[in-house]
Amino acid sequence: MEAFGLLLHGFAVLLTWKTLALMMVGLVLGIFVGVLPGLGGPNGVAILLPLTFTMDPTSAIVMLSCIYWGALFGGAITSILFNIPGEAWSVATTFDGYPMAQQGRAAEALTAAFTSSFIGSLVAVLLITFLAPLISSFALKFGPPEFFAVYLLTFCSFVGLGREAKHKTVISMSLGLLLAGIGMDTVSGQLRMTFGSGELLRGINFLVAVIGLFGISEILLTMEERLALRGHAAAISLRVVLSVWKELPRYWVTLLRSSVIGCWLGITPGGAIAASFMGYNLAKRFAKEPESFGKGRIEGVFAPETAAHASGTSALLPMLALGIPGSGTAAILLGGLMVWGLNPGPLLFVEHKDFVWGLIASMYLGNVVGLVLVLSTVPIFASILRVPFAAVAPMIVVSCAIGAYAIQNAMFDIWLMLLFGVVGYVFKKIGIPLAPLTLALVLGSRAEDAFRLSMIGAGGDIKVFWSNYLVGSITTLAIVLLFWPLIDKAFARLRELGRPAKRAG
Amino acid sequence: MSDTDLEIIVDDPTAPSADSPTVTSNRTADVVVSLLLLALAVTLGYDNWRTGIAWDETGPQPGYFPFYLSVILGAASVYGLGAALLSRKEALEGFVTRAQLRRVMAVFVPTFLFCLATQFLGLYVASFLLIGGFMRLVGKIALWKSLLTAFLFTAIMFVTFDVVFDVIMPKGPLEAAFGY
Amino acid sequence: MRKIVQVAALLAAMLTATPGHAGWEPTKPVEIVVAAGAGGASDQMARMMQAAIQKNNLMKQPMVVSLKGGASGAEALMYMKASEGDPNKILIAYSLIYMLPLSAKIPFDWHDLTPVAVIALDQFALWDNVQGPKTVKEFIDAAKEATFPFKMGGTGSKREDHVLTVFVEQKTGAKFSYLPYKSGGEAATQLVGGHIESNVNNPSENLEVWRAGQVRPLCVFDKERISYTAKVTATQSWHDIPTCKEEGLDVQYLMLRAIFLPGKVTPEQKAFYVDLFSKVVQTPEYKDYMEKQALKPIFLTGKDMLQFLEDDDALNKSLMTQAGFVAK
Repeated sequence: MEAFGLLLHGFAVLLTWKTLALMMVGLVLGIFVGVLPGLGGPNGVAILLPLTFTMDPTSAIVMLSCIYWGALFGGAITSILFNIPGEAWSVATTFDGYPMAQQGRAAEALTAAFTSSFIGSLVAVLLITFLAPLISSFALKFGPPEFFAVYLLTFCSFVGLGREAKHKTVISMSLGLLLAGIGMDTVSGQLRMTFGSGELLRGINFLVAVIGLFGISEILLTMEERLALRGHAAAISLRVVLSVWKELPRYWVTLLRSSVIGCWLGITPGGAIAASFMGYNLAKRFAKEPESFGKGRIEGVFAPETAAHASGTSALLPMLALGIPGSGTAAILLGGLMVWGLNPGPLLFVEHKDFVWGLIASMYLGNVVGLVLVLSTVPIFASILRVPFAAVAPMIVVSCAIGAYAIQNAMFDIWLMLLFGVVGYVFKKIGIPLAPLTLALVLGSRAEDAFRLSMIGAGGDIKVFWSNYLVGSITTLAIVLLFWPLIDKAFARLRELGRPAKRAG
Repeated sequence: MSDTDLEIIVDDPTAPSADSPTVTSNRTADVVVSLLLLALAVTLGYDNWRTGIAWDETGPQPGYFPFYLSVILGAASVYGLGAALLSRKEALEGFVTRAQLRRVMAVFVPTFLFCLATQFLGLYVASFLLIGGFMRLVGKIALWKSLLTAFLFTAIMFVTFDVVFDVIMPKGPLEAAFGY
Repeated sequence: MRKIVQVAALLAAMLTATPGHAGWEPTKPVEIVVAAGAGGASDQMARMMQAAIQKNNLMKQPMVVSLKGGASGAEALMYMKASEGDPNKILIAYSLIYMLPLSAKIPFDWHDLTPVAVIALDQFALWDNVQGPKTVKEFIDAAKEATFPFKMGGTGSKREDHVLTVFVEQKTGAKFSYLPYKSGGEAATQLVGGHIESNVNNPSENLEVWRAGQVRPLCVFDKERISYTAKVTATQSWHDIPTCKEEGLDVQYLMLRAIFLPGKVTPEQKAFYVDLFSKVVQTPEYKDYMEKQALKPIFLTGKDMLQFLEDDDALNKSLMTQAGFVAK
């Protein structure tokens, strides 16, 4: 029961007035950015990150993760009440959530959404709680080759499994890797790609890029669309909450199924978007009357929300354990970890127990507090949408600039943010995915260093990546994933060849 | 707790009309982006080639990876260029309509001016100008509301960052006059 | 004698707790520029000084830690160089002020800045895994016999750790592959995991894993043993670690930690900081920090400091040249 003791320790770290106050502030800010058009989980976290720079890492991560929970809850409010999914993974929630709201069952739908988010996250947190101690015992096995193999796996899975046109994924990723290489090369101590500029000396900061790519570009994109909206904001009464909760056990299969899907896709880089759609589609397939989905069925809210949140939460596990972000928000938290001087990776579980268990405990607390908070304050937050966009947009721009500047106290970074804003806008419009770019920016130099350290250690022998069972299997898996489309096609061909033969036989 | 039901309606009078003519096609955008990326790849590739792209006894030199990455980036952009020029489907879709572009510029230009103002006047003055100006000129919101909102927001930011959290923002002549 | 009087005067000044400076005083928050990433030794030192100054009420304006660890610290150096005449920025400098301009051709010379005080010297030690050889001699012999060269971990490339490694190679004839990690913490845990055979970390960087009984200090690269005799592990204190010279490995290296102001500040402004730091080094926070990190106490200002810097610069330059780390 090592996990339990450590978890209690985590709670002890958290239960101070200061931390609890930070949690509340984080949640409120989070719901705020979640509800605002043009923002959402990752953007909100990226913009509010500078608030935490002067805090100690534990308070900082508690506040940030609460901002994140808040943003997720906030996203559900707009999806259900106004049919505006704040995030791609809330899209599935609108299928049944919005019809419910139109039928005057908004309170019910919101309760269902918040409750299932809670359940999904809870399952994921439980999983993290019990896996974390295993990781710390596993941690010391990781040397440079192992780290490189893991990074390679992440990159390859993006190229191999991505749905966008392959050359666009490759453009995005190689651009990210190149930008990550600007500045000083740690292994040789030489400068590269700085063109003699003092500003490029420090390299391109990942968070600056993210704020531009997501924050600024999102505003530009939002402006393109029609911003009118119409909806009902209903206060949630205790009676409705209880009646929904009473129904919960009936849907345990759906909830469990979605939680498992979510956790699985969160830990592997599948992501919350895939999880929410899979959760929804599976619930529909296994339902007795699938045609009633999409017309305001409460299960249609339970299934995607549970899966999305289970996935979003469990994505933090690979981030903490291996330094690989499973989601956009996890990537930003990863950037935050580095700003606070923590090295993500298995060693975190050994070196910074307080931090890791504080974070895990804050996931429990943040979810409980968040649930209560949103259930009681929906109308207030929903009316934020009345604030005209002309007031919101410049405030977001200012917040982005503050965020970009605060990371390294550099004016140059504000310009860089603007540039990335334009790049993000154009890339999104012509279908170049941004996820590989951000991933490459955050992992690029780490991956390169790991590779070169492995080479130095092995005297330049590439066989080091198959030198033991652990590193060999990760490397092989990475290469399989890279060529997955080809392999998949080959299998399909084989199957096709096999079919007529069977028919004949 | 009561079952109060409030209706929220937000109109968007300046919404871009759907029938506005397109400014450029996706194909043109694709071609331009590919060419820019290609130029970037060549520049970075050349710089890395100068740094050293060989593989010496302790593994690759500092320019090795970035060089081959720029080769990959260049190749992918050339492929993208070809794909864009050959495709028929994409060419039909508009990249941005005139009305949309006008709205995007209505945000982008002020943002650009804001960055410029930050450089010379400091962040707080610039953000006051941005919020006030944007609300008044783009949002057509009453002048007093615009100025009040801008002032409150800027003041809250100042207190939060510079005073409470000790995160120092760029400042200009106005703050200097007050001794900050 | 002069020093004692000085210290006594300072103590008196501290007891009255009213910072009474006749001359210049900062009017804006003072930025402590750290030429390293968060959590590193310089960052910790900056935060300690921030706390010490605040708690003991040594300055009216607050202090803000500003991390400029980009490009292995070159960012901080260029930033200080560009801040000429600004008395509200101080740099926590270490040996990189000599080394970086040589290895990476950064257009920087520490003479461009205004030296305030040398406040500590950092030690280096040779560490190996507890499962490895137990003495320096055994370690060197094992390194010589190994078919694959021993892996030595350290922070950064062509910097203190790397120079030390080359130095050890030259003195012993053993061959090492030097692995440059991003931080000393990483080099420490990689040593625990057995991915490298040894590292040349500062005492503070290996403190935790030494306490946990996972690594062993073989020797300290200094003329004399570390002075702290309080037990750090169950059985050993810092003082119990032999010097490398005692063990037959005649290599000495210490890293300075000094405070600099940007160039072209007025003498009054410099005097304020000299005064401030002479008080800081007397605070219990500072002394506690020194012992925890096993830093060597030293306090030099004015001419003494300048002489020290010139000597140290010459030493580092010759080491870097011998090691072949000076960029052409």
